[in-house]
Amino acid sequence: MSGATARTEPRRATAQESDGRSSLDRKFARLGWGFATPALLVVLAITLFPIAFSVAMSLSHVTVSADGFQLSGTTGEHYELLLRSDRWRHALVFTVLYTIGTVVAELVLGTLIALVLEQLSGGRGWMMALLLLPWAMITVVSAQLWAYMYNGVYGVLTALTEALTGTPFQFLGTPTPAVLSMAAADVWKTTPFVAIIVLAGLMMLPSDVVEAARVDGANAWTAFWKVRLPLLRPALVIAVLFRILQAFGIFDLPFVLTGGGPGDATESLALLGWQVMFTNLDFGPGAAVAASTAALVLVGCLIFLRAFKARVGDEETQA
Amino acid sequence: MIRPRIRFHFRWVHLAALLVALFVAAPLYWMAVSSLKPMEEVGATPPTAWPESLTFENYRQAFANNNFGRYLLNSALVSLLATALVLSLSAFAGYALARLPLRGKSPIMIALLMISLFPTIALAAPLFLLMREIGWLNSYQGLILVYTALNIPFAIWILRNFFLQIPKEMEEVAWVDGASPVRTVLGVILPQALPGMFTAAIFTFTACWTEFLIGLTLNTADSYRTMPVGVALFGSTFTVPYGTIFAAATVSVLPIALLVLVFRRAVVSGLTSGAVKG
Repeated sequence: MSGATARTEPRRATAQESDGRSSLDRKFARLGWGFATPALLVVLAITLFPIAFSVAMSLSHVTVSADGFQLSGTTGEHYELLLRSDRWRHALVFTVLYTIGTVVAELVLGTLIALVLEQLSGGRGWMMALLLLPWAMITVVSAQLWAYMYNGVYGVLTALTEALTGTPFQFLGTPTPAVLSMAAADVWKTTPFVAIIVLAGLMMLPSDVVEAARVDGANAWTAFWKVRLPLLRPALVIAVLFRILQAFGIFDLPFVLTGGGPGDATESLALLGWQVMFTNLDFGPGAAVAASTAALVLVGCLIFLRAFKARVGDEETQA
Repeated sequence: MIRPRIRFHFRWVHLAALLVALFVAAPLYWMAVSSLKPMEEVGATPPTAWPESLTFENYRQAFANNNFGRYLLNSALVSLLATALVLSLSAFAGYALARLPLRGKSPIMIALLMISLFPTIALAAPLFLLMREIGWLNSYQGLILVYTALNIPFAIWILRNFFLQIPKEMEEVAWVDGASPVRTVLGVILPQALPGMFTAAIFTFTACWTEFLIGLTLNTADSYRTMPVGVALFGSTFTVPYGTIFAAATVSVLPIALLVLVFRRAVVSGLTSGAVKG
């Protein structure tokens, strides 16, 4: 414990008097908590407390009436319901596969785009600005845009497939194409984010390392796989973590683009949870969906934490 | 031997960059162009690449006959106020977590990161019940409070990274001169961390501007809808008036496009400092 404290307080090393140090320390610590508490309290009240309430709700009998809302007793019935529910299992499988598929596609495409932009001599700033547009766009708007382009009657992509193959392709009409079409819309919106992070990582790499590799006879391909990619790994790990967790909570896109359909082909965990809670007003089972989604995210976080924790430590020793 | 290879390389890269630009820009072009077409042409088969008759009728529909102006104002109001709150709270917290000797900094930072990535669906029902209890459903303050809380964690991350890069001498001089802690942060630290404040502001604003799930849960009354909620709930199950939607959407993209164009350096450095170094 004392080792950890010493590591996080490098600025105290400059204090001259050894006996004055601890009281000054305490003064600064009090000040620190004074500075940090308002922000942390807001976060605690509006995120952590509701999460805890969600968990409690998922484990209680919930009665909703016109004049109020009551939790009573403890029960595992909502989770039992989930485990028996085909719809939940389908949403879980869909969300996991969708997350893996889109994140892998975004990572590969994003890295390729970053490598192209890195080679660009002029206009890189404009390209970056263009790439930032989909990222900063309202997801609901981009979902409406793709719904329009995929429209089976007058969609421009439908018309393109008709011009190319002779028959108009129905993008959202059947399950597998609908899932892939939604993934494509997602990739369009989020790949730029990955590309920019990777590009920034590429530009921060020490150029002499790559040059040394080239001098040693490595071609661009080998230099990338053997030298630059390993150096890029920390940047990639964080980008991937961000994207995995975002993709896992996907809601906006299926809500607008497919409504979860056809059938429940594109129904994500978040969409299922929301519909159970706010369309069916089944708050108990809905909370169970939400809480189990959050728990899965937590597990995902913890898996990544090892790689991540090391970096937090690094940073603080440098500070 | 070397020269033709470089030239070949050059052309390949430019072609690839062109493809990337097309892939990103084509849907945006389609949205803007469709917003300028008359209603019949928006639903025409085959679609026309350029409006046969250019019209601003959709814009009139969206802003004069429908409430999209109100939705945009609501979004702007909620996003701007939430951004201001996030910045003022996170600046002090970020400074404390970067420089002051707090115990348990690492766990706090990791907890904040996890919270910032938590799926908001886990918050929807309890926040709905909380806001209903205190009468803040369909209000500005309810949404502002939630957006503030949701964006503080990431803002602290960004700001802390910027604070860590500021040389310590400056603030130590201020401490020794006997400046009050709040004045030291406001007068000495923040001016040096302005790029960080900028970046955090852009991130927070964008996140609030695009947020949908909580907006849909808390503010469904027409006069309190934000832009994403307005766009999602517009039209009926049978017809979606795309022309009107895209007119409003084009207007909603413009401020963000402008912001990104002008501040692209800050945004990019935020993506790197917040995400890569984080």
